[in-house]
Amino acid sequence: MKNRLEELRSRNGWTQQELADRVEVSRQTIISLESGRYNPSILLAFRLARMFQMQIEDLFIYSEEDYDG
Amino acid sequence: MASRTSWIMSKIRLGWIFLAVGVVIALVGVLFETRFSDLAYNYRIITGLGILFIGIGIGYVVRYRSALKDEQSARRLSVEERDERTVMMRARAGNRAYWVSAALIYIGLMWASFAANGDLPDLAGNTLWFFLAGCVLIPFGVYVASLLVDERNF
Repeated sequence: MKNRLEELRSRNGWTQQELADRVEVSRQTIISLESGRYNPSILLAFRLARMFQMQIEDLFIYSEEDYDG
Repeated sequence: MASRTSWIMSKIRLGWIFLAVGVVIALVGVLFETRFSDLAYNYRIITGLGILFIGIGIGYVVRYRSALKDEQSARRLSVEERDERTVMMRARAGNRAYWVSAALIYIGLMWASFAANGDLPDLAGNTLWFFLAGCVLIPFGVYVASLLVDERNF
């Protein structure tokens, strides 16, 4: 799933480690999220969205192709 | 913060449980070795298991007690162990290891059934030992390999 994490993190001037510390995950998780290799749980998605003061759907861009169920 | 403290306390309790169980197992091993030394069994395996549990218990208690005193290391430990991507990878690895383990045990069971009918040679002595060692080591190897693969994939 595509997301705007890297763009918003850079806009806020945070490093990956700083964002990881803020939402209490590892830096590797932030790297994987930014590269789109890992999709977060709904709880982490909410925490990230709150961190950037926006709605989840503005941070994570869902398309039907993302659903592989 | 409160949830992190209670999580650390539960880990410390787990450490004490490991320690207590380890002491009991080690004592049983020593007791059996002195009382039943005429039996053809290596009781040091029991004692060794007890010592392993004691080591794990001490490791838990020391690690998490020090985390209680230092907010930074508590935070680091919590992220290390509760990070959702890591938890997901461990769950996948555990699932794969479980199925490999179940398959090995099923093979052993089938072999024993056929051996009882005389269709296959008996699993005994060294062969049985190596098979059982494989049942322990192969799933562990699958677990570690799965973690390494997922580390690259996710």
